[in-house]
Amino acid sequence: MKKFFRSIALFTPFAAAVYVLLVVLTGNFAAGLPGKNLKYRKGSIGFLHSRLQEIDTMKHVDILFLGSSHTYRGFDTRIFSRHGMRTLNLGSSAQSVLQTEVLLRRYLDRIQPATIVWEVSPASLISDGVESSLDIVSNDRNDLWSFQMAAKQNHITVYNTLIYSLYLDVFRQNAAFTEDRRKADDLYIDGGFVQKDPQAYQIIRRVPAEVSINAKQFLSFERCLSLIRASGSRLVMVQAPVARSLYDSYLGHKEFDAQISAYGPYYNFNEILSLHDSTHFYDSDHLNQSGVARFNTALIRILSDRR
Amino acid sequence: MLFNSVNFALFLPVVFLLYWFAAQGNVKRQNVLLLVSSYFFYACWDYRFLFLLVFSTVLDYSTGIKMHEAKTRALKRFWFWLSISINVGFLGIFKYYNFFTESFADGLSLLGVSANFGTLQVILPVGISFYTFHGLSYVIDIYKDRIPPEKNFIDYSVFVSFFPLLVAGPIERATHLLPQIVRSREFDYAKAVDGLRQILWGLFKKIVIADNCAEYANMIFGNSAGASGSTLVAGALFFTFQIYCDFSGYSDIALGTARLFGIDLLRNFAFPYFSRDIAEFWRRWHISLSTWFRDYLYIPLGGSRGGMWFKVRNTFIIFLVSGFWHGANWTFIAWGLLNALFIMPSILLKTNRVNLEIAAKGKALPTLREAGAILTTFCLTVLAWIVFRAESLGHAATYITGIFTRSLFTIPRFERMDEAAVTMYLVLAFLVVEWIGREQQYAIARVGAAWPRTARWAFYSLLIFVLGMFMQTTETPFIYFQF
Repeated sequence: MKKFFRSIALFTPFAAAVYVLLVVLTGNFAAGLPGKNLKYRKGSIGFLHSRLQEIDTMKHVDILFLGSSHTYRGFDTRIFSRHGMRTLNLGSSAQSVLQTEVLLRRYLDRIQPATIVWEVSPASLISDGVESSLDIVSNDRNDLWSFQMAAKQNHITVYNTLIYSLYLDVFRQNAAFTEDRRKADDLYIDGGFVQKDPQAYQIIRRVPAEVSINAKQFLSFERCLSLIRASGSRLVMVQAPVARSLYDSYLGHKEFDAQISAYGPYYNFNEILSLHDSTHFYDSDHLNQSGVARFNTALIRILSDRR
Repeated sequence: MLFNSVNFALFLPVVFLLYWFAAQGNVKRQNVLLLVSSYFFYACWDYRFLFLLVFSTVLDYSTGIKMHEAKTRALKRFWFWLSISINVGFLGIFKYYNFFTESFADGLSLLGVSANFGTLQVILPVGISFYTFHGLSYVIDIYKDRIPPEKNFIDYSVFVSFFPLLVAGPIERATHLLPQIVRSREFDYAKAVDGLRQILWGLFKKIVIADNCAEYANMIFGNSAGASGSTLVAGALFFTFQIYCDFSGYSDIALGTARLFGIDLLRNFAFPYFSRDIAEFWRRWHISLSTWFRDYLYIPLGGSRGGMWFKVRNTFIIFLVSGFWHGANWTFIAWGLLNALFIMPSILLKTNRVNLEIAAKGKALPTLREAGAILTTFCLTVLAWIVFRAESLGHAATYITGIFTRSLFTIPRFERMDEAAVTMYLVLAFLVVEWIGREQQYAIARVGAAWPRTARWAFYSLLIFVLGMFMQTTETPFIYFQF
């Protein structure tokens, strides 16, 4: 029996070391292999790397934006700047509340924003958040919060990507990485906004589904609120406009709005603004520049009124 | 609680430690622990049906003793039939009630009579086909005076409910398993290590091969209308490897788990896709069920005695019952029938016991003749699996006719072809390992036996890496749980 446990005790670290080694080799030499559970996304479509590089120069901003691609494609830092507001957009692809919590824990003290505009939607509370975790693990410096986020998600792709990303962090393999400001139709704007070139609206039909909030996400939502309250920043929660076809695919908006409103000031811009799918959106999720202008103007008015 | 779940990964070490340490080598304590763990394991599936398992156990335990103590042959027969009819009755109600009422109503409607018997939403208790067959073999063996009844209720209950085999077999025999449960068990290092190795191989088969193949098999079978012949062949191949790796993977995990507790279960698979004829395939596929039917149905029916006509009749009965055992669906019955037809030439030509040893024994490669026989048998098996997997007989017919079109000679087209290609490479690598290890109990039983420990461990670590790199990210139940 002793021999058995001794073998187990020796084999476990051996297998772990081989596993890490093979993950690193796969990341280095077979990054394009399809179907594998390793998705390292340094400099991915969401420009999170560029956004994080700006944090050091962005202390005491007026507004910090948090949320999914609705955020980094929906809050144009230039529009706010024209109204005298210094803003930082920390949106990331498919950012769910679990990732918002990680970003708050890492950067809230450093940024010290006067106001936090947090984009909260059914999508951010029902998703498993894996896509966004991969984005953050790949593009941000990893620390204990990364481990905690991975453990909460308990998803093999997140674990593998975290292993590979840690290796790159430790051996500074990506220290010289720079991200292009333009990728295909997307242009990165200082402060974190991503502008899409004009293009025709694409209709995506969806089957209506009930909003079923993920319990882990909701616990994280409550922790985020505590962190923001403790920091002294003002909080405004918004639901960004999406195309009517997408909005109608979620059922139970009234209940969702009532639930979120109970936690602080909350504005559902799908109910406030009257936007047209093909005029103000380029796809069912994202506003075009004309839609962004209307959305931001309406938000600035609300923020000014609140002051 | 799935074998491929985090819950099981926590459950197994806890039971293992308690078994070898807390029970302190006392077989009574060990068996009590195994019984409690097994009931807990079963309750994790559905605690509502625990009563059925306990009832079935009490019934067979009691009737076993009553038969043994019966003063007259008539009384013994009474207890025997009581047990058989209640066991088969439960199986009939839970597994086949809706099938019979719906089929009867359909049959009447063909005659122009409208009938509505009303169907019950009967939930199939997991493992019922397996533990019922355990009980039946025990009762039959006592009735035939092959074994005495087990007097210790705990020991008998462990025989029926031992958690590694509870939900999907192997279907054990009292003659094989009960003596192991009754006698004291010592920890055996070699056996435990071998058990862990077999668990690892089972997990690889299930998680890497079966679950990935399932993605494409489900996709193609679900969208078979209008698909090209080559795409349909790809779908059938994916299912062929899915079902083999799913079920044999389960069996490997079950056997490996049992070995950790010092218990050897019956072997369930012996490289069936390297068979050279259908008779050999059935000696290598789901062995515990095939031999069960052989011993408790085929031989009592007369077996191969009484001339060719009886042999043919009995073979058809066995395969039809075997198909029906898999579930209440005409596709399973047709699958059984098809296998009976496939095996007929070797029955009629009396060549069904020609290939008893594994293909190309002691050689690296098969002869051309052997390779041809393996390929032919494999193609027949794939054809039968299409019927097994199809949603209905109509679906099976259109699927098979869809294959034999000119589009058979085109490149398959379906979503995520690049990922499917990776799965195909994994299947090929898997087949190579299976071929190399085909003379062992399971493919990697002796891999690296002569290597230094570091190299052997590196091989196991590589398997773990492939598991982590290619596993599906949602837990997928084993196919045979539904049977």
